Amino acid sequence: MLKIDDLHVRVAGKEILKGISLDVKAGEVHAIMGPNGSGKSTLGNVLAGRDGYEVTRGNVVYNGKNLLELEPEQRAAEGVFLAFQYPVEIPGVNNTYFLRAALNAQRKYRGETELDSMQFLKLVREKLRVLHISDELLHRAVNAGFSGGEKKRNEIFQMAVLEPKLAILDETDSGLDIDALKMVADGVNAMRNPQRAFVVITHYQRLLDYIVPDFVHVMVDGRIVQSGDKSLALKLEEQGYSWIAERKLVGAA
Amino acid sequence: MNALLDEFGVGDAQERDESWRYSKAALRALSQQEFALALGDAALSSALIERFDWPETRGSRLVFINGRIAERYSDGAAVESALQIAHENERVALTIAATLDRPLHLVYVNVPGAQRSRWTASCDVDVHAGNATLIEQHISDPSADMLGSLTSNISVASGADLHIITQSDLADSASLYRRSIAHIDGVLRTTHALAGGRLQRFDLACRLNKPKSRYDGRGVFALRGRQHVDVHLDVRHSARNTSSDILWRGIADQRSRGILHGAITVAQGADGADAQLQTKNILLSANAEIDAQPILEIYADEVKASHGATVGQLDEHALFYLRSRGVPASDARTMLISGFANEALGFVDGPIRARLDAWLAQHLQLTVEPTS
Repeated sequence: MLKIDDLHVRVAGKEILKGISLDVKAGEVHAIMGPNGSGKSTLGNVLAGRDGYEVTRGNVVYNGKNLLELEPEQRAAEGVFLAFQYPVEIPGVNNTYFLRAALNAQRKYRGETELDSMQFLKLVREKLRVLHISDELLHRAVNAGFSGGEKKRNEIFQMAVLEPKLAILDETDSGLDIDALKMVADGVNAMRNPQRAFVVITHYQRLLDYIVPDFVHVMVDGRIVQSGDKSLALKLEEQGYSWIAERKLVGAA
Repeated sequence: MNALLDEFGVGDAQERDESWRYSKAALRALSQQEFALALGDAALSSALIERFDWPETRGSRLVFINGRIAERYSDGAAVESALQIAHENERVALTIAATLDRPLHLVYVNVPGAQRSRWTASCDVDVHAGNATLIEQHISDPSADMLGSLTSNISVASGADLHIITQSDLADSASLYRRSIAHIDGVLRTTHALAGGRLQRFDLACRLNKPKSRYDGRGVFALRGRQHVDVHLDVRHSARNTSSDILWRGIADQRSRGILHGAITVAQGADGADAQLQTKNILLSANAEIDAQPILEIYADEVKASHGATVGQLDEHALFYLRSRGVPASDARTMLISGFANEALGFVDGPIRARLDAWLAQHLQLTVEPTS
């Protein structure tokens, strides 16, 4: 589904990603772990199409298409979803209105019929019920005045409504208490299926207790230095990132 | 030579100069043109009538053509028990003695004659008791090369509550000078939604004279082309425990110009006053300009006051957020700008709000077309 090959990315003249390769197949959950500043969020942003990231080498193929050539809204309509580390507050824009516009724009792009407000409301209520979120969320402006936890729940809610094929979760666990963390994990687990893939970017192993990954990759200084199964995350938890960093040095020597 | 500055300026030469600082050149250009007196008995096209013939204000509508009341388009039957209308030529006085159960719709239509023309009128509003909503709508024929001037004395008695919603939707060749002074013993709320116009100047002076009297002002201007809107708010707290709360949004694209001057004075002895003023503005083009001037002068001891003004660009993070969910770039821009404007329309609801929203959205959609 997603094939990243030797991806190099510069931000403001500085090389942040230094040759990332990653192969994600439908149905898989990949966790990307690493210390702060290792380039994890840059990877998420580049995949979603944020401005200001210069790809200097490598390529990204998503379902047979060159992902990097698509506009952010085209990527979304093709099924790519990024749950933001810092969801943006947009006062004055109603959450329901925004989400319906987004869903219908995606459906239109894919040649599907748009949902009228009754159909949309039915869909939304169904998703709210599954995620145990109050419908009060629908009447508020997008993330405006939301607590950190509410913003992250709203990201998961949006993901549930938009039903992407590839969901990238950028530190969705950061700043969450254990209940909110479980809710986010339940939301993700409920959506796991053979057609959908997840890339879960996280700093801590904790989230992976609830979202059990098929693969774990450790990123240090813009490179994936080690890949393994879920036991790698546990090892990291025990020994810290310095263990990896030391290994990398030894390997380089 | 600026004859219009003499006519529209208030105070001594220095005050006039200061108050027209950002619009003097625009006013001078108007001043140098010749105007004939606009006729008040023109017939209206169906396209113009459609713009104000709202079902919810049938029976509570007064239509003014070039400043003069036009009986054949006006009908106040639904509100006649609470409303008294006195008029003589271009001078109108409205007295509201009890709650109006539906909004009173005042429509000012600019209809051009054979040559460039102008009109001058006044409309005083006196609310003795009850709650009233007044909608003041300014519209013009697309080719109206005109200058209108409308002044008002407004008074709101203790215990009374007046909400004035002003929608100004003028052609790029039409100008309007609008000055009101409000003596507020009760509560006055205003909502302004302004677009278009060669030069639109809104002066609103609010005098909070009685303890607990209150003024709340909301407004938005959305400009493009070479449109020019200049808003001057002057709020004076002169009694104890008075409050004012002002929130404006400004949007300027292309070569347009917006000015929001908000002056709040808390006089000596007006202790317990609460005064808030906030304005946020977005520039959509490098050639647009917005000047936000909040001024706070406090002479009393116990006062709660704050003011803030920002001028910036559309939030790129928010734009990316919307696009990353699938909303196309141009729609995302419109959504953000409409949302920004919506924050200033919180006092208006129901069908009138829906009308304002639709009108602004349409106006903003045009505004956010790529300009380069």
